[in-house]
Amino acid sequence: MTSLDVTMTVNGRTVTGRVEARRTLADFLRKDCAATGVHLGCEHGVCGACTVVLDGCTARSCCTLAVQADGAEVMTVEGLADGTDLHPLQEAFWARHGLQCGFCTPGILLTMRELLADNPDPSEEEIRESLSGNICRCTGYQFIVEAVKDAAAVLRASSADRG
Amino acid sequence: MTEQHLPPGLIGARVRRKEDPRLLTGRAQFVDDVALPGMLEAAILRSPHAHARIVSVDVSAALELPGVFAVITGAEVAQACALPQPVIWRLIPDQRMTDLYALAHDKVRYVGQGVAAVAAADRYVAEDALGLIEVEYEQLPAACTLDEALADGAPLLYENWPDNVSCRQTVPKGDVATAFAAADVIVSETITYGRQMGTPLETRGAVVSWDPFTDRLEAWLSTQSPNLARDLLGEVLGLPVERIRVRTPDVGGGFGNKFDFYGEEVVAALLSKRSGRPVKIIEDRLESFVANAHSREQRIEVEVAAKSDGTITGMRGTVYGVLGGQLSTVGIGPCWAATVLMPGPYDIPNVEVTVVGVVTNRSPYGSYRGWGQPKANIAHERIVEKLARELGMAANDVRRKNLIAPDKFPYPSPVFYYDSGRYEECLEAAERAVVDRGWAKRQAEAAKEGRSLGIGYSFHIEISAIGPSRILNQAGLQHSGFDEESVRIDSTGGVIVRSGLSAMGQGIQTALAQVAAQTLGVPLDSVTVLTGDTETNPYTGYGTGGSRGAALGGGALLRASTRLREKVLRVAAELLEASPDDLVISDGRISVAGTGVGGRSVSMRDVGDATYRRLDGKLPLGETPTLEERDVLDPDNTAFSYGTTAVLAEVDRETGRVQVLDYLIAHDCGTVINPMIVDGQLHGGAAQAIGGALFEEIVYGPDGQPLTTTFMDYLIPTASELPAFETVHLTTTADHIPGGFKGMGEAGTIGGASAITAAIDDALRDLGVGVVQLPITPPRLLSMIEAAEAGGTATDVEEQS
Repeated sequence: MTSLDVTMTVNGRTVTGRVEARRTLADFLRKDCAATGVHLGCEHGVCGACTVVLDGCTARSCCTLAVQADGAEVMTVEGLADGTDLHPLQEAFWARHGLQCGFCTPGILLTMRELLADNPDPSEEEIRESLSGNICRCTGYQFIVEAVKDAAAVLRASSADRG
Repeated sequence: MTEQHLPPGLIGARVRRKEDPRLLTGRAQFVDDVALPGMLEAAILRSPHAHARIVSVDVSAALELPGVFAVITGAEVAQACALPQPVIWRLIPDQRMTDLYALAHDKVRYVGQGVAAVAAADRYVAEDALGLIEVEYEQLPAACTLDEALADGAPLLYENWPDNVSCRQTVPKGDVATAFAAADVIVSETITYGRQMGTPLETRGAVVSWDPFTDRLEAWLSTQSPNLARDLLGEVLGLPVERIRVRTPDVGGGFGNKFDFYGEEVVAALLSKRSGRPVKIIEDRLESFVANAHSREQRIEVEVAAKSDGTITGMRGTVYGVLGGQLSTVGIGPCWAATVLMPGPYDIPNVEVTVVGVVTNRSPYGSYRGWGQPKANIAHERIVEKLARELGMAANDVRRKNLIAPDKFPYPSPVFYYDSGRYEECLEAAERAVVDRGWAKRQAEAAKEGRSLGIGYSFHIEISAIGPSRILNQAGLQHSGFDEESVRIDSTGGVIVRSGLSAMGQGIQTALAQVAAQTLGVPLDSVTVLTGDTETNPYTGYGTGGSRGAALGGGALLRASTRLREKVLRVAAELLEASPDDLVISDGRISVAGTGVGGRSVSMRDVGDATYRRLDGKLPLGETPTLEERDVLDPDNTAFSYGTTAVLAEVDRETGRVQVLDYLIAHDCGTVINPMIVDGQLHGGAAQAIGGALFEEIVYGPDGQPLTTTFMDYLIPTASELPAFETVHLTTTADHIPGGFKGMGEAGTIGGASAITAAIDDALRDLGVGVVQLPITPPRLLSMIEAAEAGGTATDVEEQS
């Protein structure tokens, strides 16, 4: 099996490694970079639990090879909080009971972060549409939707403060 | 009825969960996050055939692959095990048992059954090695459906059995023959419930380390039942349980799938013994769809005898459980539950219900949240709806006529005593909420636009707080049903609760913390709840299933904390030179009642210090150092929660698509510990019910090949398919459970399909459609609509899948 050198930035740190060409980005992040917040729910790109941010856009790390991310900037859920200050999405999910077992949560948080960056004031329907690429088996989604609305309001207020 | 009303406080408060910070930040530890020095990763070779004889297994090439440390075959597993895979629910004494081991060695009986396993440097190499194992099969004719398995001359899964029937049992109550002979009206129905499964988003997994020098076994399992798993590992492997430690990290959803005890745990242990290394097995999703317990698949015949005023006088029913190729840990359990709970919430004096368990060349039938109750519910609710149509009555009027009245509790059903309830009030609460939400108006307005909206109701009961150990043993359970909890205050006043229950997303750590904090009078922040280690934590009977965690764990902890509080008061009384009877505890401070702010008080830290470190002159003579209590709750009875589900749904007559527009649950689970968690459980259960009613089905091809082994094929509802949920709560406490708690973890799954089918029928009432097959997918519903429009029999359309 061919092995290749890869270098990427994971949550702000540069990491290098030599990986087999077939090694998935998810396995590289989980096992070689200790980013165990990346979760594998299906390994066929449907459930969204393995979602990471790859060069600014969400990507399914189970269907991406580590070598494809060579030179990229990667963010996982471990990079979402600012030091020990939770991101407004994390705070809102906590306050609104937007998670139960938490296995899908890292992927959902990063997907919703991308939604709110593109659309700071989404309707309920837009939130549900954007969520529909991530499977949550526990919550029935309603409290997730409410949490995203709350977080959107917080983020809008803080960007208004800055503006 | 004794009502237990706890004072307002943390019990009943909508507090944020203690579990969440680690889950939100990627710091949780799931089983695949466990990494041990020298750990290997394993993969399992699975049968590609539904039914075949194993002629030979050649693993020599796999063993030679660099990076492979151990390979094990089914024959070697059978030799290494003291017992076959256990079945703990042995409800029917003469049931034919399947007695198979963790891997197959003579025959394979379903696609996906394990045949051999490899431990290697990592999963990639292990899967490479699987490709090098040569298995020669002699294919056999398969019995892939219930009808094929029951047919004359059907292929036998077990050649020493006369047929494919594992068990049959009839449970009687009263005199059914007379009731049916005297009936004004008899209605009957046959319902087909499709094969479904829990699909927790984290698949199952195990890490096992077997020290070959000491035969000490350390296991990390993604399981709902750590103590049961430990005992069963001991039985199967022939090890004393004191050498076995089961740790349960965060569990990424259980839903019953992780209650059962699977072969993978045994295989990981044996591969570890063989290799001398810790071995991890994490199933992938494709495996999960064949190697996890499937559920729900039953054919249910039900009929009722009634008077012309709607009073039901008798019920007969037969449940055919489509069991799959071997018995799971819970055996006939869920199908038996569907059978004996078939009368549901109705006061039916004469009942005769039969369960028939049939083996087929499909994956084994095991636990899934609801555990038989969604099928019992669909049986009694479909037949009530049909009876109402037959009599020209409103379905809820038939329900009202037959719901068990409050003064009839404890109510003897064919098997269980229902403890308490105000069923009619609950139904009416739902009816009022439906009026408030304007559903009838929405339905009428939509009709003007040519759209078909329907309103449907169902009433469910839920057995919880399982349960009384001796009674469960008498019924045939080879395990107990009590729960043990311990609570300790440390030298600084902090509280540690230890529980044998598993944290799998249901918020048990938060719920137990609320109970301890309120009872002890301390802030919630000062309480830590530890779960997930059989070596250091108490023993819970059964496991974290049967909607028992909050009720039994909460009840046991309430009693333990109450006694611990008394000791705290005795120590504080010494420090304050007061009588314990004059003291109050609030927010972690103990003070003399009535002295107000600035009065004499001591903190929980002072009490801790006086009990653990600087005792002289502070700890009362005769008091033992340390502050710890434990309690075991083995309840006198189970506790029955209940609820009404109401659904507003739209049917597209052109496509057969059903959209659930609004969803309401009126619910009673006794004393609520955390309303936010209860609502979350109801929502999530309802989502699974909607999936089961409309989308989810494990489909097999005619050759026994599973056709739905990805999330592209097995359709779990996404946010776009689900409505918002509304909940309404009543509180009728369980008088035999300390605190009055009843369980409710399965509630949402039970009544959903019944209410949705009723709503569909209502939307299509002009056509006389009556849904009797689940899931009611668009093609199925469309063919019913077309048949009804063409004047055919609307209920008589279906292929066998």
